[in-house]
Amino acid sequence: MNEDKMKKFLNISLLTLAVLSTLSLASCKNEVDNIFDEDAVIRLDKARAEYTDILTSQGGKWQLEYFCNEEEQGYIYLMTFSKDGSVKISGHNKWINYLNVGNLNSSAYGSDVSMWEVIADNGPVLSFNTYNKYFHLFADPYDIPSAGSAQSTTDVNESGYGHEGNYEFDIMKYSGDTLYLTGKKPTRSERFINMIMTRVSQDIDDEVYMNEVVAMADSFFNSKVNQVYINLPNGVRWIVKNGATSILKMFREGADEISTAETHNVIITHDGLSFMDPVMLDGYLVKNFIRQADGSLLCRDDHQTTMTADVLSSIFKTQSFVWRSEPAKMGGIFADMISTIADELKAYNKSTLNYIQFAYDQDLGTYTVSYNVKKGSVKYNPTYYVTMESAGDTQVRFTVAPEGDRYGEVYANNCPTMKQLVNTFGSVAYDLSANSLLAPVNMKMAQSGNAANYIIWILQ
Amino acid sequence: MKKIQYYISALLLVAVASMAMSSCSEDKLGPTIFPDVDETLDPTSYSYQLDKFLKDNYLDKYNLTFLYKLPDISTNMNYNLVPAQYDNAVDLAVLCKHLWFDVYDTIAGPDFLKLYGPRILLMVGSPALNVSSGSETVGLAEGGVKITLFKVNSMNVNNFQMMNDLYFHTMHHEFAHILHQTKTYPSEFNTISVGKYDPTNWTGRGLEVTSLGFVTTYASSEYREDFAETIACFITYTDPEWNAVLNYAARGWATDASEDDTDATYYSFYYYPNNDSEQDKVALYPSDERNIARVTVDGVVHTYWKNERDKSGNRIVVYAVEDKDGIAGDEAILQKVQIARQWFHDAWNVDLDSLRKEVRKRQMHYDMDSLRRQVYNIH
Repeated sequence: MNEDKMKKFLNISLLTLAVLSTLSLASCKNEVDNIFDEDAVIRLDKARAEYTDILTSQGGKWQLEYFCNEEEQGYIYLMTFSKDGSVKISGHNKWINYLNVGNLNSSAYGSDVSMWEVIADNGPVLSFNTYNKYFHLFADPYDIPSAGSAQSTTDVNESGYGHEGNYEFDIMKYSGDTLYLTGKKPTRSERFINMIMTRVSQDIDDEVYMNEVVAMADSFFNSKVNQVYINLPNGVRWIVKNGATSILKMFREGADEISTAETHNVIITHDGLSFMDPVMLDGYLVKNFIRQADGSLLCRDDHQTTMTADVLSSIFKTQSFVWRSEPAKMGGIFADMISTIADELKAYNKSTLNYIQFAYDQDLGTYTVSYNVKKGSVKYNPTYYVTMESAGDTQVRFTVAPEGDRYGEVYANNCPTMKQLVNTFGSVAYDLSANSLLAPVNMKMAQSGNAANYIIWILQ
Repeated sequence: MKKIQYYISALLLVAVASMAMSSCSEDKLGPTIFPDVDETLDPTSYSYQLDKFLKDNYLDKYNLTFLYKLPDISTNMNYNLVPAQYDNAVDLAVLCKHLWFDVYDTIAGPDFLKLYGPRILLMVGSPALNVSSGSETVGLAEGGVKITLFKVNSMNVNNFQMMNDLYFHTMHHEFAHILHQTKTYPSEFNTISVGKYDPTNWTGRGLEVTSLGFVTTYASSEYREDFAETIACFITYTDPEWNAVLNYAARGWATDASEDDTDATYYSFYYYPNNDSEQDKVALYPSDERNIARVTVDGVVHTYWKNERDKSGNRIVVYAVEDKDGIAGDEAILQKVQIARQWFHDAWNVDLDSLRKEVRKRQMHYDMDSLRRQVYNIH
């Protein structure tokens, strides 16, 4: 071996030595850095115990905002977790009604006791591990019945899938007395559904609470007022249809409905409404809405966006709507006049007044005010004609035509107060107010400047 | 000098290499990272009575874990399943003991199920619906270890037929699988109906499979299911049910559907309106057969369509479909039973007929309230 070769050999030897030394030093480090204080299994076991305590403490009562899939409304459930492993689950929906009486025409309350446990999987999992007939029905793999409800008419055979609901939930986070859950099993479209469960007072009576949720749902949307609006802070409105189904069809006002409408499923909660997923509308992200005293919905996320029906004057002018009132729903001079009318009718031909109606006559192209009068088994509808124009969002003015129809004139001659009442419409402007800005099915029409004189109209 | 350097370098290399290779040999097993799990039952637990019953009667006795709470990791994730209702789990737990475990204890001895019984019984509330095939799995036996019973939430303990179809039949069927997976049955069994099995289209078959020598349509799917079904039916069927199977098996069957119709409906009797063979024959399906009258005249049995007469007032004659399949279905079934009977005797020292007798006695006379008290009287 010459000197160059020797040098080369030594250099390689030293390099190899250095590498092996490094390796020998590193290879003895046989423990992973402790990012966490304890082993995963210990931490998981502690998490199970911790979530078990969280769920059962303070009376253990929670409200779950439950979604099965992306195409079905959400359902509220009350759950009372006990330390003995039992859980009382209460709900109020049409599927419980179907279970009890076989139809989907109405909602029913149901409460059942089953078992629960926080188990370990990849993380803590809340498992409802014995069958609760009013909750697990959404996880049953049966075909969804289509009879009896326009909302559920479907030709799809869901056998094997059913509603695709979960009964095991990964517990993602606990914050502010709210548990953030994710259904463990994805839907057919490979979506994992997120849900929240919020602690509620242990003193709540389940049935009373659930009845209030149903009443809340009824107050939000009414199938008679099928179109409402999301009013964005920038003044843009999104039209919302089918609110009563909780599967909202939405599109930007002015845009083509067929090509741009999108659907979003929502849940009606005890205090408002929430979309299953946040929705981006013209740059505004909305998800949770809180019911306001006037019946409208205010977005909890930005405190600006609202959901209402159209302005009241437009609602009242809607030509397809029929409004009716009766003596008990009138005040001031209207109450006095309707009382006089009753006396006049009795004196004239012993007839009685059923109701008074305000509607639009498509054939004549004018609004009408008519009385429904009953004489024996025969009914008459003396009618008078009015035109109506908006005087702002909540004010209307009427102009009364000089003559009514044939019966209107006959009755006007014999019961003069009938026409006098209609003529009163034309005297001043009327202020409109409603039971709810979202579902204004009860419209109060009060004289501007003298609110004691009013008629409350009920949308038919 | 250069040689010395060479040797030193080589020595150092060997030393460091040795260190590198030996430096990891100090690993020792430390204490388990898993927390101690307290297996003691909590008397304040909501499910204490059932848990105690299961521990005393299944876990301690047979080393069998009876799962009635369903974590979905216990099942095939391709199915959408729900847990069993607690009350139904109680009912099925006591019935399993009465109609299965106690039967084998009585006939085969107390150690039989300890040795060969399953180790896990899993109750599932819903059916396992196979979305792609449209079929439904009513029971599963996995590797001789685990048996899964479905539709627990649909069960009605007062409907014996339903209970038999869903559970007792399934239990014996699945246990037959476990037994033959432990000690194989004679291959002679597989030759009896060779060529008649249909693994893909058996769901479209009907009662006509009896004529081919199968006790059920599922039995016609493959050898092993045939074996398990033959045993399960033989054990659990009542006499009228078993005789009906043999009766159907002895007949000829025909269909008016085309040969490639996988859902063809078969019939075994027919008649001609007004006894006029020129007219189109009318098929009689098994559900019609209550309207067939058999009248013996001079020792000869004549078959008529009950209460129907031709224009002349003569009874409408009913004809049996000619058995053209070349298989004596009843004989084939009895031959299969005999193989199973012999196999039970030789392989397991169990008398299949005694087993059958004991099952029938118990399943026809069980007092549900009394059985439930085994659980609900636990304090």
